[in-house]
Amino acid sequence: MNARAQMTLDRRALGRALSRAANASVEEILAADAGEAATRARRIGVTGPPGAGKSTLIAALARYRLEHAGRVAIIAVDPSSSKTHGSVLGDRIRMDRLVDDPRVYIRSLASRGASDGLAENLPEILAVLDDFGFDEIILETVGVGQSEFAVRDLVDIELLVMAPGAGDQIQAMKAGIIETADIYVVNKADQPGAARAETELRAILTMTAGSAPVPPIIRVQADTGEKMDELDAAIEDCVRRRKEGDADAVRRGRHRVKGLIVRRLNEVLLDMPVALEGRPIREVYDAVMDTLSQRTGP
Amino acid sequence: MMIETATEPRAASPLRGKRILVAKPGLDGHDAGAKVVALAMRDAGAEVIYTGLRKSPAYIARVAIDEDVDAVGLSILSGSHKELVAETIAALKEEDAGDIALFVGGTIPAEDIDALIEMGVRTVFTADMKLDDVVDAVAKALA
Ligand SMILES: Nc1nc2c(ncn2[C@@H]2O[C@H](COP(=O)(O)OP(=O)(O)OP(=O)(O)O)[C@@H](O)[C@H]2O)c(=O)[nH]1
Ligand SMILES: [Mg+2]
Repeated sequence: MNARAQMTLDRRALGRALSRAANASVEEILAADAGEAATRARRIGVTGPPGAGKSTLIAALARYRLEHAGRVAIIAVDPSSSKTHGSVLGDRIRMDRLVDDPRVYIRSLASRGASDGLAENLPEILAVLDDFGFDEIILETVGVGQSEFAVRDLVDIELLVMAPGAGDQIQAMKAGIIETADIYVVNKADQPGAARAETELRAILTMTAGSAPVPPIIRVQADTGEKMDELDAAIEDCVRRRKEGDADAVRRGRHRVKGLIVRRLNEVLLDMPVALEGRPIREVYDAVMDTLSQRTGP
Repeated sequence: MMIETATEPRAASPLRGKRILVAKPGLDGHDAGAKVVALAMRDAGAEVIYTGLRKSPAYIARVAIDEDVDAVGLSILSGSHKELVAETIAALKEEDAGDIALFVGGTIPAEDIDALIEMGVRTVFTADMKLDDVVDAVAKALA
């Protein structure tokens, strides 16, 4: 536990700091950043298809994680409408019972314009939580498309949550799309098909693992907390085996700079003047690259 | 050739970028109205958090602060709006969050509206108001 974690949490200040981080422009981020914080919270990513039970699982898991960590933050990302930019942030309603625990801080984020399905400025948001002395961050994201790859670059341990009847997800795994998780969770053990889903998953993961060990697959019932102790133990095991290497820092750094560049690029593309339409592509390309190479803001 | 980056929002989303908590304090068990308002605000571009039924003022204040919302909308049908509003305001102030805008909607008798405004509520919405007007009033108050 670090020094800041000993103090009582100023939730108002943290809430505001997170908003500032979420709303910061690319230029503001560049101006404010002074390198990585001295202490980092452990980051656990929880991803999976809509409705698999990720939020319910996090609510149950947080109780266990508090045995290992003094202070836990939960960040839950939900998609924004690309048309109205609005969203309903519905994850925390499943985490109700954590609200009166002063060691837990829950924040809901809208993905806004983030092109990777995560949330804009997520690296900056996580850095704020480091600064406020959290020991652990649990990050919920909806795993559709590329977001489960993107989340891999942000977290130390990734959980993939699936529910029975997720035939499509298993198909996607067969195609090698989602094999990046450290721990696989089959949730809704009470529902028919849970055992089969686990068997299928195990078959695929065994095949892809080759001679390497097959990652843990744990069948749980998140809404009753059944087998959450096993999941917690698997996470602890992962924590023990995992050694932070240079590659992780490099990966994080690249992810962050890429996020900023993509965001800036999107701004530039959105504002591309009509005059460029129909021009030779080389001219358009050069105009965009020209703009990108200019410093934004003051 | 340089491309100018515009700063104006493109779409007509009056609540774009605003974070709003829609909350149900008290014991009444009907949230159809609260949900309709929540969805209207979402469609106006807001990031909306809904608490679910029967939450205490302390719970609502905690969520408002952790989520750093711009506004809290309380939906109250139980008749105990004066107590619940007073408690919510006190809970927000206690955590240095008295500046978060508070709106109230539901079954509020006309004669109580002034008292609620006096306590610090920005606007009181009654069931006969059009959704667009509710959204506009919130947008104007948060502008
Ligand atoms: N039967 C059963 N239902 C569950 C279980 N865990 C969660 N659920 C239900 O599954 C539904 C979705 O749960 P959430 O926790 O919201 O799922 P999610 O993956 O966070 O959903 P999104 O954030 O919308 O993608 C809810 O109705 C839960 O009550 C379980 O173990 N068994
Ligand atoms: Mg969820």
